[in-house]
Amino acid sequence: MRNFKLSLILWTSFTICGCTKERNIGFGVDEAQVVEDKSRKTKKKNDAEFVSILYTNLYQTAISPNQLYKTQNVVYSIGDQDVANEMLLSNYFNTSGLTIPTNIEMRNDIESFIVNTFKRFYLRYPSEGEKAFFIQYIKSNPNVTVEMVYTAFACSEEYQYY
Amino acid sequence: MNRKNFITKSGIALGGGILAPYILPSGRLFAKTGSLKADHVVLVMFAGGVRQQESVLGRYLEDSQGVSGAAGNIMPNLFEGNSPTKKIAYGTSVVGKPNGSEPIPKLLTNSMERSGLLFPEMRAQSAGHYVGLNTLLTGNAGTNQGLKVRPAYPTIFEYLRKHAGYKATDTWFIGNGIGNSTPLLNSSNHKDYGLAYGGNMFAAPVTFSNAGKEILGNAKTYTRSDLEPMYFMKNFLDQSFALTKDQISSVSNTDEEKSQIKDFIKSVFAKQQSNQLPKPPVTDNGDALNVMYAAEVLREFKPKMLAVNISGVDSCHSNFTGYLQSLHRADHITGWLWQYIQNNIPQMSGNTIFIVAPECGRNLNPNPILDQNDWVAYDHSDANALRVWGLMAGKGVPSLRVGGESQPVGRLTDIVPTIADVFGILDDVKSAGLIDPLAQSLYNRI
Repeated sequence: MRNFKLSLILWTSFTICGCTKERNIGFGVDEAQVVEDKSRKTKKKNDAEFVSILYTNLYQTAISPNQLYKTQNVVYSIGDQDVANEMLLSNYFNTSGLTIPTNIEMRNDIESFIVNTFKRFYLRYPSEGEKAFFIQYIKSNPNVTVEMVYTAFACSEEYQYY
Repeated sequence: MNRKNFITKSGIALGGGILAPYILPSGRLFAKTGSLKADHVVLVMFAGGVRQQESVLGRYLEDSQGVSGAAGNIMPNLFEGNSPTKKIAYGTSVVGKPNGSEPIPKLLTNSMERSGLLFPEMRAQSAGHYVGLNTLLTGNAGTNQGLKVRPAYPTIFEYLRKHAGYKATDTWFIGNGIGNSTPLLNSSNHKDYGLAYGGNMFAAPVTFSNAGKEILGNAKTYTRSDLEPMYFMKNFLDQSFALTKDQISSVSNTDEEKSQIKDFIKSVFAKQQSNQLPKPPVTDNGDALNVMYAAEVLREFKPKMLAVNISGVDSCHSNFTGYLQSLHRADHITGWLWQYIQNNIPQMSGNTIFIVAPECGRNLNPNPILDQNDWVAYDHSDANALRVWGLMAGKGVPSLRVGGESQPVGRLTDIVPTIADVFGILDDVKSAGLIDPLAQSLYNRI
């Protein structure tokens, strides 16, 4: 009788608390890669956004609030924003801690370097024309470095927009 | 192709090739040069709100604090008149003597009033700082000008670049900080002008601050062969993105100009390090440092037009003693800048017109705030705050005094047409229809 009661309690517990079979529900959504479209980039980054995104892009870590405040003030104090941004970038390239490919890595696989650079800076894939231009240009100019390519992207107009 | 056709077509092509590079942004073939009065203009925006009583009228403490017998001129480089002899508090401090009791020695042999053209009683169109600064640079009364937005009407930088064809590094605005919308003054957001014609700008005390040095000072010096691929790739990307004109967000320097500006910034940091920046004898406030950087820009770029803003006298809202000290120093650094151009920049010496004017005045009656000397302070909001003066000196400027306390002559909106007149583009500026209809070149007020 005692065993019967114990069995009854266990059976009741399992019945109440036991797992129900997981149901797979599909909504008919196809998988898609989500990327930016340059034609939809219409909002200009403000100074804080630009500096913050650039810093994170290069160092793969967030900029500190104090550093961000100082940097955006200095950038704002110069009339030619291209000059300010180019100097800021060049200053970053003169520091350690950057997480960027080496020149050898770039030259070993120029196509994937270009695709990754477009994704990194523009959050989109290059068009065939853009890809062809950069592959041809880097191949035919052995003095072109990762720093030069990154500078061109970071100082470009598209990078100012999102 | 027969011989006649060949000669005709090649002649047209040759003529086009010669003329095309000289077509100005305004569409005109040549800049007006017939009435060019000088090659350079330096405008000192003597801002912060300057009362007539303590400046051009030389009343010192007599009108402001009711101290009998304490009148006198505390701006000896700009104006004529004997210094005060009583209650001297506007100078520097020397150990063992009362604070501010040592006036700064006069720098110029002849005051600018003596050697130039003084309009002792002009009218400002606003009693506010930003609108006043806008007026000095746009020639428009700016009654609808908002804060934190670029000037609604074109600045003199844009007029000069569009109608006289000057390049971006020919026009400079040196702001005294990044507050109060000051960095927006190098260009308007007017649809027919705007940043594409804007002047270059440094908010110099910020650009060349310790933070500036940390953020920009370690930038690499790229060679031309480094820069060419960068700009080539950037230009490719920019062509692909194709901003419209109203999306342009920066001044349009050429690649060569950008390189020159970057080299200049680095050179200033280097000179700071070795203490080689020429500066006024007394540099104990931010205005002096700003003028020091303006002098460095003048030396490097020899611009056609440079405007430098100072504003230390705005301490008058709560500290009259500080106001007097700032006014005395503003006179000192303005005199120094004029002297520096004459003695150290041969390309500009004898070929520059120097213009000095406040952006607004200050009230007739004080507010109740007392300073360390128990002197009352002054704001700027009444009719007295619309009383200002204007001073010109330099190439071909007559030695004259036009108007007086009971006979006002000139408006602050006259400054832009005056500069346009110096550079021979007065008709273009007036034809644009964007300046105060009552504004005139000060040359025409004489």
